[in-house]
This record gives sequence, structure tokens and C-alpha cells, in this order.
Amino acid sequence: MFDLLWQGMVGMTAAKYLVPLFIGTLIGVVGGALPGITITMTVIVVLPFTFTLEPLQGLAAMIGVYVGGETGGLITSCLLGIPGKPSAVATMFDGFPMTKKGEPGRALWLGIWASILGGLLGAIVLVASTGPLAAFALKFGPWEYFSLFVLALSMVAGLVEASLVKGLVAGALGLVVTILGNDPVMGAERLTLGIPFLAGGIPFLPVLIGVFAFSQVMGEVERMGGAREAERMAGKVVSFSVSHLKILFEILSRPFLLLWSSFIGLVIGVLPAIGGSAANMLAYDQAKKFSKHPEKFGTGVPEGIISSEASNNANVAGSLVTIMAFGIPGDAVTAVMLGALTIHGIQSGPLFISQNAQLAYGMFAAYILAHPIVLALLFVGVRWVIHIVTVPKSILFPVVLVLCVVGAWALSNAMSGVWILFIFGVFGYAMVKFGFPLAPFILGVILGDQIEINLLRAVMTDSNPWLFITRPISGVLLLASVLSFAAAIWQHRRAQRKAERNGDADF
Amino acid sequence: MLSRDGWGGFAVLAASLLLFGLTLGLKDNPLVPFGPGFYPRIVLGLTILLSLWLVLADLRRKKSESKPEKLNYTQIVLQFGVFGLYCAALPYLGFRISTILYVAAANALMDPPRGARGWLRVAALALITAFATYYIFERYLQVLMPRGRWTGF
Repeated sequence: MFDLLWQGMVGMTAAKYLVPLFIGTLIGVVGGALPGITITMTVIVVLPFTFTLEPLQGLAAMIGVYVGGETGGLITSCLLGIPGKPSAVATMFDGFPMTKKGEPGRALWLGIWASILGGLLGAIVLVASTGPLAAFALKFGPWEYFSLFVLALSMVAGLVEASLVKGLVAGALGLVVTILGNDPVMGAERLTLGIPFLAGGIPFLPVLIGVFAFSQVMGEVERMGGAREAERMAGKVVSFSVSHLKILFEILSRPFLLLWSSFIGLVIGVLPAIGGSAANMLAYDQAKKFSKHPEKFGTGVPEGIISSEASNNANVAGSLVTIMAFGIPGDAVTAVMLGALTIHGIQSGPLFISQNAQLAYGMFAAYILAHPIVLALLFVGVRWVIHIVTVPKSILFPVVLVLCVVGAWALSNAMSGVWILFIFGVFGYAMVKFGFPLAPFILGVILGDQIEINLLRAVMTDSNPWLFITRPISGVLLLASVLSFAAAIWQHRRAQRKAERNGDADF
Repeated sequence: MLSRDGWGGFAVLAASLLLFGLTLGLKDNPLVPFGPGFYPRIVLGLTILLSLWLVLADLRRKKSESKPEKLNYTQIVLQFGVFGLYCAALPYLGFRISTILYVAAANALMDPPRGARGWLRVAALALITAFATYYIFERYLQVLMPRGRWTGF
């Protein structure tokens, strides 16, 4: 394992990999820092540039975006009081007050160093656990895969912040998208509604790009005007110089906080589609609960920044574990990575590491090396990033949507991809307006084909349906799915009762 | 009376029922035990049940009066409209001309230009975006961008 990792690290330092990783990280830092531009949107913008690259070059760029974005988001959170992305919201609670107290450098570098340390702690788990988890997943037959995908969907539907039933409806809608086209056994056309380009099914990448890019861009267009505020406040930022040894000591003198926050981030990253924003908030909440002075949280305490930033970077490692070991995207960013792998004809899943060891360890290396690159970039250019975030959204958004069109077109050099992008853009925006969560929908679209194939394989191998329950791993996975479902119902009921008590009956 | 959730559930219910009806017309293949409609019926059956649950839950729920947030929906309609026209124009005008027109229109709608300077900004953004994207993708990344039937490029 260490030999392969070392080879991966050495390979990644070659210019042909290091350059995409560096550029990806730089774009990630800027995209993460831009309020209203999420990491998902940034990675979607980068995706078409990776089509003609080698798989590892493309994945290195995307991993760079992911790691850079998670760290970049804290810049505007700490300095401007505007979270660059949802997973930096909790960072703002103490980062911005610290800046207002006249310590912008301390706020910023506490966050950056905590991100780096949290991310590297996550790397240890990523490297150590992905292989054994994938080896375990090799024991899976179609029954276990089916149950695993059902578990992933039920967890995502249950854990989203919107109502449970809406999460489930969204997941089911994602599955509906995958039944349009042709059946996987005989290739018979089904439910094409007379639309010619539906005959081959709906490719998931234009759906994913459309749903996420449009919902986010249009969500911001509804409330245009934030950039002016950022522009006004950016002028106030003064000096970022600090003693880095002192900052590192401040973080490392709280080892439990760093480890616990990173652990929370990792676990949430491993669970599909919950994401960095939940990790960020949960770690902040835990830090407050374990603190001897919880009343000081929100006034600019270092614990608030360390916990939230360590967790959201460790969350990236968790997401990579899930996609590399099981082929299940942990969030939208890894869903795009899955798309990039598919474009290059590489199948993710338990066989991924054994069949593509060089690529897998190259990805580990890219993840690890992205951290010092982020650090170096921010040492040099943090002041520049603050100026870049003042670029008006009226300039950014048309450019982002043009790149989405290029991405959708380049997949098959056909207009069908562009139309799917547009149709699902409208659909995604409508889903958001009706309060349906997007994460279960996308997971449904991604897993739908695999659920069908494994269900059919299982029942064609042995028509006894009880095997789904009596085979131990499959049974445990289905039981976990039922438990997760029950826990979600209990949690939602409790939240509803609480809301009713507070006089807010609607959800 | 249905609220936002109820109407959402109702729309999903109607679409699922329609698709479920269509699966009944799918013919089974004698060579395989399960025909092309087997899995879609499970998925659509599940969607019907869930959307029905959503509608019923909405009907049973006490509604609270909440003031809707004031949002710029005219801008949304315009942006979707312009993007739809962009998609429609791509095969006829080609990537470069349609992208110039789209970026200029989208930017001008989001931030209406004031005076010559404003129009210069719109024109510069549109030209730079279209030609930089074209140049990078077509020349360096070997992605053949859409050609226009009317323009020939």
C-alpha cells in the first residue's frame, strides 16, 4: 500500500499531473471564495476541460477544485461575513467576529491551518480504509448491491433537511428518470414518449449539470445585489500577517477538538449526499457542547473556526472513500467525478482500486498534495482572492452557463445533451421552488440503472425474493435501511411537534 | 386547499399515473422472465404512493400564513427564456454567434447597461467569452463546437 502511495506521490509531482492539480486547486479556492458559486458549480465548470485529458489529470484537477473550494470558502466567511459556500457558514459565526475585533489574519489562518490539518487527518483514513472497504465490497453479489443502493437512497432521502416524504419523492423521481429509454436486459424501448433522443436513455451528467447549475444560478439571480455589499466590505480588509507557529500551536493545543471535528467530517462525508454544510454545522455544534465556555461561541473564539474548518475538509476525504470503495457518490462533487470516470470508460466500485491501482493511488496523492498547494496559494494570494470575489454575478453567471452548455455538448457532440441540460435546469429550479431536495433526486438518477440491473440479476439468478433478507450482508443492509428510515420518521415527527409547539405548523 | 407541497405532490402523482399507464402497453419478452415494464412499474408504483402521501399529508396539515419572500421572478423568466433561445439558436447560428448574443443578452438583463461604457462592458464580455471558450475548447481540447446551419461556422 505504502509503495503504491509513494509511487502515486512521485507520479503526481510530474508536471503533466501537477499542473492540472495546481490549476484545479486555484480555481477551487477562487470558486469556493465566491459567494453564490458553490464547489459543485465550480467542478461542473471545470468538467468539460477534463474531457480530453488523461483520467488522472482530469481527476487531479477535480480533486484540486474540491480541496481548494473547501478551504477557499472560509476566506469570505472570515473576512467579509459572507460564506463563500454553504459548508463555510459555521466558520463565519466566529471567523467574522474575530475579524471585526481587529484580528482578520488570525481568523483566516486559524481556518486555513485547521482545514489543512483536518484534510490531512482525513487523508490517513482515506488511504487506510478505502482498500479494505473495497475488498469487503467484493463479497457483494447483486442482492447486496441492490440493498446497498437502497440503503444509500433511503439514508439520503431521510437525512435531508426538507420533509421526509419530499426527500423520498425526490429520490423516486430520480429513479423515474432512469426508466425512460430502454430496458437493460433486452434493450427494448420503453416510455420514450415519442421523443427520439430519449431512445438511448437520459445521460446523467447533463441532468446533474442542469439541475445543480440552474438551481444555484437562478437562486442567486432572484436575489441579485450581494456582490455590491462584498465590494464595499472588501475595501476594509487590512493586514493578514500573523505568526504561523503561534496559530499552529493554538490549533494543536486543542487535539481533541481537531480530532473529533475531523472525525465528524469524515463520517458525514462517508454517508452519501449529506455534505460539508452538515459537517461544518455539526462539528461547530459539538465544539460548543464540549466547550467550557459555550456562551463565548459566536463572539470570535478559535474553537468555532477550528472545528468547522477541520470538519469540512475531512468531509472531502470521507466522500472520496465512498465513491472509491463502493462507487456511490458522497455528494454532488463526487457525482461529477463519477461522471468523469464514466466518460473515460472507468467503472467505479469495489473493483476500482484493484483494477486501476495506479489511478486510485494517484487520486490519493492528488488529495494529499492539494493541501500544501492550497497553503502555498493562500500564502501568496489571499489578498487577490478578496478582490476576485467582487466580480459581479451578472458577469459570472452567463459565463458559467455557457461552460455548462459546452460540457453538455461535448459529452456526445449532439444537441440532445444541451436540451437535456435546459429541461432539467428548469426542472431543478422548479424542484427547489416546490421545496424538494436535489440530493436524493440526483442519487436516484445515478443509482437507478444499477438498482434495476442488480435487482434483475438477482431475481434471474434465483427467483426466491427472500434471499434479499436471508443473505447476511444484504439482510443487514436492508435492516440498516429500515432503521435509517424509522430514525428519519422519528426525527421529522419530533421536529414537527417542536414546530407546532412554537406555533409554526407548516414545514 | 392544497399548499405548495400539495401541488408539487399532485403534479408528481399525475405524471407517475400517466407513465404507469404507459407501462401497461409494454410487451413482455418470452425469452426473459421479466419484461421491460417490470422495474418501471415498481418505481412508478412507489412514486404514486409517495406522492399520494405528500398530497394527503398536505391536506391534513394546518396551514400557517407566511409572508412570501419578494423575489425577482421576471428576471428568472427572462433568463430561462434567453437560455432557451440560445439552445434553439445553436444549431442554426453556430456556437460563436449564438454565444455572443446569449452572453450579451443575459448580462444586459441582469445588469442593464447605462451609457456607452455599459454597452462596451456587455460587448466585451460577450466577445471575450465566446471567443475564449471557442479557442480553448476547439483548438486546445479538440472539442468540435456546434456549427451553424445558416452561418456555416
